[in-house]
Amino acid sequence: MSLPTTLDDRRPTLHGVAARAVDAVKVYGQGDTAVRALDGITVDIPAGRFIAVMGPSGSGKSTLMHCLAGLDSLTSGRVLIADVELGQLSDGALTRVRRERIGFVFQSFNLIPTLSAEENITLPIRLAGAKPDAAWVRQIIDTVGLRDRLHHRPSEMSGGQQQRVAVARALASRPDVVFADEPTGNLDSKSGGEVLALLRQAVDRFAQTVVMVTHDPGAAAWADEALFLADGRIVDRVERPTAERVLEAMKGLGA
Amino acid sequence: MFRTTITAAWARKRRLVGTALAVVLGVAFLTATLAIGDSARAGFETVFTEANAGTDALVRSAHRIEGVEGAAATPLDASVVAVVAGVDGVASAVPVVEAVARLVGSDGVPLGGGGPPTIGTSWSEDPAVNPYRLVEGRAPAAAGEVVIDRDSAEAGQLAVGSSSTVLTPSPAPVTVVGIATFGDRGTFGGVTLAAFAFDHAQDLLLGSRSLITGVVVRADQGVDEAELVERLTALLPAGAEAVSGTDLTAEQQAAIEGYFLGFMETGLLLFAGIALLVAAFSIFNTFSILAAQRTRESALLRTLGASRVQVLAAGVAETAVIGLGGSLLGVGAGMLVGIGLLAVMEAAGAGLPTDGLRVTGSTVAVSVGVGVAVTLVGGLVPAWRASRVAPLAALREVSVDTSGASRLRLAFGAVLALAGVALVLSGTGEAAMSRAGLGALALLFGVLLLGPAAAGPVGSALGAPLLARGVAGDLARRNAVRNPRRTAASAAALLVGVGVVTLFAVFGSSISASIEDAVDRSFAGDLVLQSAGFSGAGLSPELLSEIRAVPDVEAAAGLGFGAVVLDGEERQVGFSDLAELTRVADFHVLHGDIGSVRAGGVGISGDTAEEKGWQIGQQVDVRFSDGVTEKVTVEAIYDDRGMGGDVLLPVDTWVAHVAQPAFALVFVGLVDGASVEDGRAAVASVAERHGSPEVRDRDQFVENEAAGVDSLLNVVYGLLGLAILIALMGIANTLSLSIHERTRELGLLRAIGLNRSQLRTMVRWESVIVSTFGAVGGIAIGVFLGWGMVRALAAAEGFGTFRLPAGSLVVVLLLGSGVGVVAGLRPAWRAARMDVLAAVTAD
Repeated sequence: MSLPTTLDDRRPTLHGVAARAVDAVKVYGQGDTAVRALDGITVDIPAGRFIAVMGPSGSGKSTLMHCLAGLDSLTSGRVLIADVELGQLSDGALTRVRRERIGFVFQSFNLIPTLSAEENITLPIRLAGAKPDAAWVRQIIDTVGLRDRLHHRPSEMSGGQQQRVAVARALASRPDVVFADEPTGNLDSKSGGEVLALLRQAVDRFAQTVVMVTHDPGAAAWADEALFLADGRIVDRVERPTAERVLEAMKGLGA
Repeated sequence: MFRTTITAAWARKRRLVGTALAVVLGVAFLTATLAIGDSARAGFETVFTEANAGTDALVRSAHRIEGVEGAAATPLDASVVAVVAGVDGVASAVPVVEAVARLVGSDGVPLGGGGPPTIGTSWSEDPAVNPYRLVEGRAPAAAGEVVIDRDSAEAGQLAVGSSSTVLTPSPAPVTVVGIATFGDRGTFGGVTLAAFAFDHAQDLLLGSRSLITGVVVRADQGVDEAELVERLTALLPAGAEAVSGTDLTAEQQAAIEGYFLGFMETGLLLFAGIALLVAAFSIFNTFSILAAQRTRESALLRTLGASRVQVLAAGVAETAVIGLGGSLLGVGAGMLVGIGLLAVMEAAGAGLPTDGLRVTGSTVAVSVGVGVAVTLVGGLVPAWRASRVAPLAALREVSVDTSGASRLRLAFGAVLALAGVALVLSGTGEAAMSRAGLGALALLFGVLLLGPAAAGPVGSALGAPLLARGVAGDLARRNAVRNPRRTAASAAALLVGVGVVTLFAVFGSSISASIEDAVDRSFAGDLVLQSAGFSGAGLSPELLSEIRAVPDVEAAAGLGFGAVVLDGEERQVGFSDLAELTRVADFHVLHGDIGSVRAGGVGISGDTAEEKGWQIGQQVDVRFSDGVTEKVTVEAIYDDRGMGGDVLLPVDTWVAHVAQPAFALVFVGLVDGASVEDGRAAVASVAERHGSPEVRDRDQFVENEAAGVDSLLNVVYGLLGLAILIALMGIANTLSLSIHERTRELGLLRAIGLNRSQLRTMVRWESVIVSTFGAVGGIAIGVFLGWGMVRALAAAEGFGTFRLPAGSLVVVLLLGSGVGVVAGLRPAWRAARMDVLAAVTAD
């Protein structure tokens, strides 16, 4: 199996940055009950890297991911995916960005129950009205190891298999960033490991950029870098994290 | 527990509104029907009582033939007046003449005739005899002087001094000398009145001054009605009978009930029933979905210690609350509808004699009772299912109702459907119609049970063209069949509605075809004259003679209908100059020669011959409305009864017994080579003096006969519109609930790139597939049943040609699918507005 290690047709990214937040502030509620979920975060997600976002509950890690992915809007500040600023976009344009530049893997309920595995994988491409690139799709399917499950419906697959299909779908449109929100949260450790290995491969072999929100130090250990959030700010960064170093950092946060 | 129920219902009010609305509409229809029926009944009772207020007893002919259409005035000898006057206890005995006479308006067009009687009568100033009071002019005295009712005067633009014509059915020139009202009404229940001086009424209407139609009797002080009737009965000659004023009112009330109110109310109740049936399906479906979505809640209640019975009771109570609320609203809405309808009928000139809408306690009780019962029937099974939920389900991730159809259900459905088909096909002879009806019901329920099995493949097939619409279309198609049971249940309401519409369309079209067929088979002439309206004087023998004198006319024959007692049985018979009739009509004679049947003979249909076991030469007793019984001999047996009916008497026989012989139709054959247009013009100019009956050529005749069917069909479609509306709301409601249930899935789709317009497309097309499934199923069932009914009708009545109304069915299909577009509007709009993040992270 010869897999390319670089992809020459990737979209140009801004100075090698796949996603970027600048002075990102997100406030929920008003007056006394206002909560600053993001308190002025500025961060670059370098292209081709696997970034884990960690932090205790309410630290703003999910909000950061939602805002970066264009699922939620900022109170102030800017978010860019590649060179596109999301704040100015209409719903239609945002949808196109999600379709073409972003891949998603959620904790659960990642697949459309009426579609087979293969159809789920190619759905974003078909939504864009494009024809799936057969060779690329085949490559992804082989990578996630689901060739014999292609025509199965989600209800006929295990949780781990479903999550691997979700990863394949996220990769299928060759997005600028794949956002994974607790992708192993609902899986046993073996299946979780398989999914994390897949994300790792996506970065290593396909130069994909992955942002993963997780609270599991073991999962974060698969990343190139771990960002730690608390009270809406980035409070720590760990390069080449191991489970031990992540745990230490977490303890430091009082989590 | 009850409190919990109310709170729970309130919390879900948005979702329950759609359900309640189905109940509201169905109940409103029911309430309006019952209330209008009661109002009309009370109104007629008031006017009949008023009309008979001064009548303690009426003496009349004992030979009246009722119960069949075409009952004519039945005279009795005027000598009875002296007998009555001599009875002890009689204060006054006033002879009256009352028969059919149709007043012609100033434009030459006859008035009335749309249903209520057109009456010609003797004028009396005695309020005991005549409920009408002069408001203008004077009483008639000389020949040709007439008093008319105020409504007719207005409608016909006639005033005191106007000259006009009264058709008795021979045209009699008249001068209006007075205008009268019935109390403060313009007339009595739509009746048109032409009142003459007594002698002239006898001349015109009975043709003899020794005949009258009745004696209005008033009793002395202290003699009650029953006593009076008893004394009269003892002394009356044979052929005369006495009836009390109270009984007369009851008789008239019963008659209007029998041929108008009962018919109207039964018809409307049938449609209210269909609407409520459709509502029950909608309710069942909504509650099924709600119960499935609330599995966790029910299970939680069970974990907390609620018993199965308590959970069931909570479900039933919730249903009952919705049923009660919806029904009460429905009663209110029904009153408004009733008031509106009465006003519309009044404005359309078909006003019922009512004093506002009458809503009785029993109407309210029945409406609310039926509404609650229908809701409970719809909600019971879902509530029972909810109560079977295991407490553990509260802790599990609950999957939505994905079950298909159980084998038992499919087997039962298949058996029912097959039994239905067999019943529809098996009918022969008299039992055919009732068997077909029973078969229709069995088939309908069988198909509804089979629905879930069909929803998958049929839905996929119907959705196939959507693949051309891209991913959204593909998703719509898959969504439409992902839960076949739900799809089938949502479509069921529409299936029933469309099925009934189709059945009527097919039946109506086939009746039209049958009429065409009958005319084609039997009518050999060129022109047909028909008097306008349903009731009225008909066409006179004079008109017939005048037409025969038209140069281009080769042959002309009148065909009339009336009632006799034939072989002890009241029957409608036809009468005609049979020799002439055979020149313009062909009844496909089997035995004998219908054209040579003269007085003393009778022609009968082959079916009647078979039914009675009669052959040529059979002697049959016929009693006429003058009380005379004649023995007639069967001289001809014919095959085709489409136009002439089962029994045909020579007109001479008829005329000998009936005061006002009149034809319903006159058939005209033109000489060879004469132009139909010229012939029509010539005949029409002769007919002008006779109230300008329509002169139609063959095609127009067929068209006109069919037009009656069409206008009835339009009313039926209007009434069924409500059922379709309820079905539409049912689909919209189901769709909303499904959308709600799929919040996370929709969120996911939006997150990975489905845009708003694609989402709307997806929801809309899902809705269209569901509704098209219902429409196609309904059309298939309706066509089959329509075909079966026509077949049964042909077997039972020997009259029935199947014709598929292709155009109408295409319209029904498009409308049925259109229901989906409309039903999908709001759910699609709401789905598109959904917040993506909230949807993705929803529980």
